Amino acid sequence: MKFLKVDMSTKSVNVEDVPQEYMGLGGRGLTSIMINAEVPATCDPLGPENKLIVAPGVLSGTSLVNTSRVSIGAKSPLTGTIKESNAGGTVAAALGHLGITAIIFENQAPDGELYIFRIDENGDASLITAQEYKGMGTYALSEKLLETYGEKSSVLCIGPAGEQKLTAASIQTTDVDGRPCRAAGRGGLGAVMGSKGLKAIVVDQRGKSADAIADPEAFKEAAKAFAKAVKEHPFTGQMLPALGTAGMVAPVNSMGAFPTLNATQGVMEGWEKISGEALAKVIQERGGNPSHMGCAQCIVHCSNEFVDKAGKYVTSSLEYETIWSMGGMTGIDDFDTIAQLDRLCDDIGVDTMDTGVAVAVAMDAGYKNFGDGEAAIEMVEEIGKGTEFGKILGNGAAAIGKHFNHKRVPVVKGQAIAAYDPRAMQGNAVTYATSPMGADHTAGNVVGEYMSRALDPLKPEGQVEASRNTQIAMASVDCTGLCLLASFALTTPEGAEAFLKAMNAKFGTQMGPDDIPALGIRVLKEELDFNRRAGFTAADDRLPQFFYEEALPPHNKVVLISDEEMDSTFDF
Amino acid sequence: MKVRVKLFGILGQRFPGYHHEQGMEVEIPDGARVKDLLAHLEILKSFGGVVAVEGKLLAEDARLENGAEVNIFQSVFGG
Ligand code: SF4
Repeated sequence: MKFLKVDMSTKSVNVEDVPQEYMGLGGRGLTSIMINAEVPATCDPLGPENKLIVAPGVLSGTSLVNTSRVSIGAKSPLTGTIKESNAGGTVAAALGHLGITAIIFENQAPDGELYIFRIDENGDASLITAQEYKGMGTYALSEKLLETYGEKSSVLCIGPAGEQKLTAASIQTTDVDGRPCRAAGRGGLGAVMGSKGLKAIVVDQRGKSADAIADPEAFKEAAKAFAKAVKEHPFTGQMLPALGTAGMVAPVNSMGAFPTLNATQGVMEGWEKISGEALAKVIQERGGNPSHMGCAQCIVHCSNEFVDKAGKYVTSSLEYETIWSMGGMTGIDDFDTIAQLDRLCDDIGVDTMDTGVAVAVAMDAGYKNFGDGEAAIEMVEEIGKGTEFGKILGNGAAAIGKHFNHKRVPVVKGQAIAAYDPRAMQGNAVTYATSPMGADHTAGNVVGEYMSRALDPLKPEGQVEASRNTQIAMASVDCTGLCLLASFALTTPEGAEAFLKAMNAKFGTQMGPDDIPALGIRVLKEELDFNRRAGFTAADDRLPQFFYEEALPPHNKVVLISDEEMDSTFDF
Repeated sequence: MKVRVKLFGILGQRFPGYHHEQGMEVEIPDGARVKDLLAHLEILKSFGGVVAVEGKLLAEDARLENGAEVNIFQSVFGG
């Protein structure tokens, strides 16, 4: 249990015991509570007062399956709100093995200086100059870093977009095969990392100083039961291993909720060409891997390795959200182009979602035609080259919308929506509008409620409550290091019970089922407090006007949640 | 009556010879409901079978119409 505090201006690294007020916290809980306490809410997100906090979940590094999520927190330059963006890969487990609760980067290196922060297998840490890596893409960079520091290292890094401090810049992290293809994509945290003068964090995976588990026997039992629940759940045990998240293309189109051609239609014509079923088939035929283990400790294997016609690796993992942003939103129905765009975004270090939506907004504004894959690739390449247009695009969908003075810009608090149209899933309208993070599906996706038919997606009734409950649940899950996808096993009584037992065995506590949501409520309250002090009001918890005015085919609905209902979301 | 069924997720693998591009024609009694179709195809509730017709998710008790194009997939929770 220790903090590594890194002052980027003096280049000093201090190891501290975790202060009492942060004890027992991890992941999003830790990053958000610390930012609210220590970062001035009105500060410039790209200035020295902002902090960049990297925190594994409280269960990361244990033997519990699917617990290698790392949370990265800061004040976001994209939204101006508090932000937590989490990523998979291997770094959370590596930090857990070293008993590191968080790395906190403060202040900034002088302009033009660039550093790598390296932690060796004994937990000793240092800042190393990285001038030679300036401007490098994340693929070449990760290769070099793994060559230099050994294959048993985990890398978190930025590409040219982060160095340019573009507000859609991501932080990329390496998967189990050492490729920088997993991302903390949302909210422009790559720009915060760039503003600190930090190019990469390299963590040795061989640490042996993990925090103790209070009751190792009980933990082992609970971990076994939880793994069983994950394996037996039809979504985590069957669908995700076979098709990955791309398996969502069919259900969401079948519901008329797939935002298409910059959110002007709810069903994409020819969506079957870019469905999960089609993807698995193409990958299999070409000799790629449709069921790949992306992250440490994973037994779900939602990832894939997309290869070109010659069988050469292009990208991993081609995910639902990227297929949507780079495919559905832009009208590009060809996997090879979408995979290339995904690879480019990972290499340049930009969020595939905000970038895809930005491309779609530009197309809708008449800059290029919908469906023009070559044009989309050229546009994204401009971000890496640092051209004037590239800078606007790399600042995300909101910036592109402003540039073209376009009327249809699907963002909330400056962040692009995800692959669920709020008019065809009214609960996700509530989540997009009210989440402290800006439009964000991982903050509280209600789609499961519609699938079980507990709720009608097209009617306003019950949506606020459903969004509230999922937002609370997600805020809790994001503290633990558990992958969102595996967390769906918590929807079964066996999964929920095993997980609670694992938490209690880890901490030696007697938490009951209500204590987990209580943590989520605490985290949300802190985040909302930060945003309020940063100047956000209820008026910011709204969707763009067109969602209330333009009906979405095929259901021809607009967002039906009233302002009063929106404002009751966090009545707790 | 007959409905045309397309199976998504890993549901297709349960029917030997199923061709995804064409889907399959299924004969069910006139006025059959969603749950009757799922029972006919032996897609158990625990498997999370969800039925959609013309962009709408149907409740278990909803009646199907002759000639309907039916998409069946496994319940999803998010991506
Ligand atoms: S299910 Fe996917 S995202 Fe989650 S841990 Fe496994 S590979 Fe990573």
